[in-house]
Amino acid sequence: MISLDGVTKSYGLGDKQHKVLDNITFTFPYRQSVGILGANGAGKSTLIRIIGGAEKPDKGKVIRTSRLSWPMGYSGGFQRTLTGRENARFVARIYGADFREVEKNTVEFSELGKYFDRPLETYSAGMRSRFAMAVSYALDFEYYLVDEALETGDARLKEKFRQVFKERRLTSSVILVSHNEQTIRKNCDVAAVLFEGKLHFYENLDDAFLMYRKIIFTERAA
Amino acid sequence: MTHVASLAGQVERDGAFTIQCRVLHALILRDVKGRFGGRRLGFMWALLEPCLFITLFVAMFQLLGRTSQSGVDVPLFFVTGIAPFLMFRDLYAAIAGEAKTNNPLLMFPQVSKTDLIFASVIVNVLLSITVFILLLCGCYALGYTFQVYDPLGVLVTLALLVALGLGLGLVIGALTIRYEFISSIAQAVLGRPLFLCSGLFFTADILPPKAREYALYNPVLHCIESIRSTMFASFDSRYVDLSYVFSFAVIMIAFGLMMLSFFDRQRR
Repeated sequence: MISLDGVTKSYGLGDKQHKVLDNITFTFPYRQSVGILGANGAGKSTLIRIIGGAEKPDKGKVIRTSRLSWPMGYSGGFQRTLTGRENARFVARIYGADFREVEKNTVEFSELGKYFDRPLETYSAGMRSRFAMAVSYALDFEYYLVDEALETGDARLKEKFRQVFKERRLTSSVILVSHNEQTIRKNCDVAAVLFEGKLHFYENLDDAFLMYRKIIFTERAA
Repeated sequence: MTHVASLAGQVERDGAFTIQCRVLHALILRDVKGRFGGRRLGFMWALLEPCLFITLFVAMFQLLGRTSQSGVDVPLFFVTGIAPFLMFRDLYAAIAGEAKTNNPLLMFPQVSKTDLIFASVIVNVLLSITVFILLLCGCYALGYTFQVYDPLGVLVTLALLVALGLGLGLVIGALTIRYEFISSIAQAVLGRPLFLCSGLFFTADILPPKAREYALYNPVLHCIESIRSTMFASFDSRYVDLSYVFSFAVIMIAFGLMMLSFFDRQRR
C-alpha cells in the first residue's frame, strides 16, 4: 500500500511561504492506474518526490509498504563514472532483486550492446535516457511512479516501452503525474486533480478532466 | 512481448532492517567502485597524501637537527599524528558534503539520508584505517619497530575521532544548507588551524602552560595525544581526557542531527 497521511509541504520562508501540498490524505488504489492532473506549478513534481521519498513532507507521513519504483526514466541517480552494468547492479541490489536478471532485462530493453560495459559518461543523451528507462522496466514493481516524460528515444523504442508499460499496468499499480489530459486518458483508470494544495479524486476520468479544464480556464482568464 | 513481464527481476519484500543493510551494501560497493575504478587516482592519493606530509615533516625535523622529545621515533610520531588527523578531516568533509547536498540517489524510495551518511562513514573510515595500518607497516619495515601498548585504547580513540568527524560534518553540512557562507568560514576557521593545533607535530607537554590550557579545548588534540599514548609504552600523556572528547562528540552529533532534520525540510 502507498498512502499519504496528512502530507503538507510548503516552500519559501516567512511571509512568502507557499503551501504546495496542503494536508493531503490519500491512498493510492492497488492495481489501478491513477493519473494526477495538475497545471504547471501545481506541485506535481513535489508530490512525486514526496511519494518517492526524495523529499520529506513538513507535516504528515508517507506510508510505503509496497514495492515502489523511483520515478520512471529518472537518470539522476546513476553514477556517470560507472558502467551501465554496474549501475544496473546497484539498482538490483537496493531492491534485493537478482542482478543477473536485471542485467539481462536491461540489455534487452535498452539495446545498448557493448556500451552496457562502458561508463555512463560516454553515453549520448539519448542512450542515457534509454538506459534509464530500461533499468526502470527491468525490475518488477507493485507501484510505478511516472513523472510525465514517459516517452523517450526514437519511435520504435517508444513503442517498445509503451508495450511493456501496458503489460505492467495489468498486474501493478501506476501513479502518473501529468499536465496533459491525453497522457492520462491513454494510461489511467482513475484520476485526481491537484489544485491549490489539495488532491481531488474522481472515479471517472471525464469528471476529472471537467474540473481540470475549469481550473485551466479560470487561470487563463485571470 | 508477453515473456517480458514474467522475466522482470522479482523484487522481494523485506523488513526495514534487511532493506537498510541491502542499501548500505549497495551504496558502499558503489562508492568504492566510483573511487577506485577507472582512471581515478583513488586509493593511491589516499596513501600518497599522508606519505608526502610525513616525508616533509621528517625531513624538516632532520634539517632543524631536532630529535624527538616524546620518546617516540620521529616517523612514528608523525604517522600517529597525521594519519588519524587526515581520517578526521576527510570524514568531516565527506559528511558535510553528504549532509548539505540533496543527493539524486534519494530518488530511490528506500535510500534515505541516513543510509548515505552511514555508507560514507563506513567507506571513509575503512579507507583511512587501511592507510594508517599501511603507514605503520611501512615504518616497521624501515626499522622503526614498536609494540602496540594498548590496542583497545587505540580503537576507542579512533572511534571517538570518527564520532567527532561525524558530528562536525553534520553541523557544518546542516548549517550550509541554509547559510551558504558557512562552508567557506568552516574551511578558513577549521581547515588550517586545526591542522596546526591538533598536536600533529607537537605534544601537549611541550606547550607553555597558558597555551596548553587553550589548546586542550580542542578535542582532536586529546585524540591525537591519546592515540600516541595508547600506541607506545614510551609515551604517556598526562592531559588526555577522553570523557571530554566523548561529550563533545555526542553533543555535536545530536546538535548536527537536529539541525539537519530541521534545515533539510526547508530546502529551497
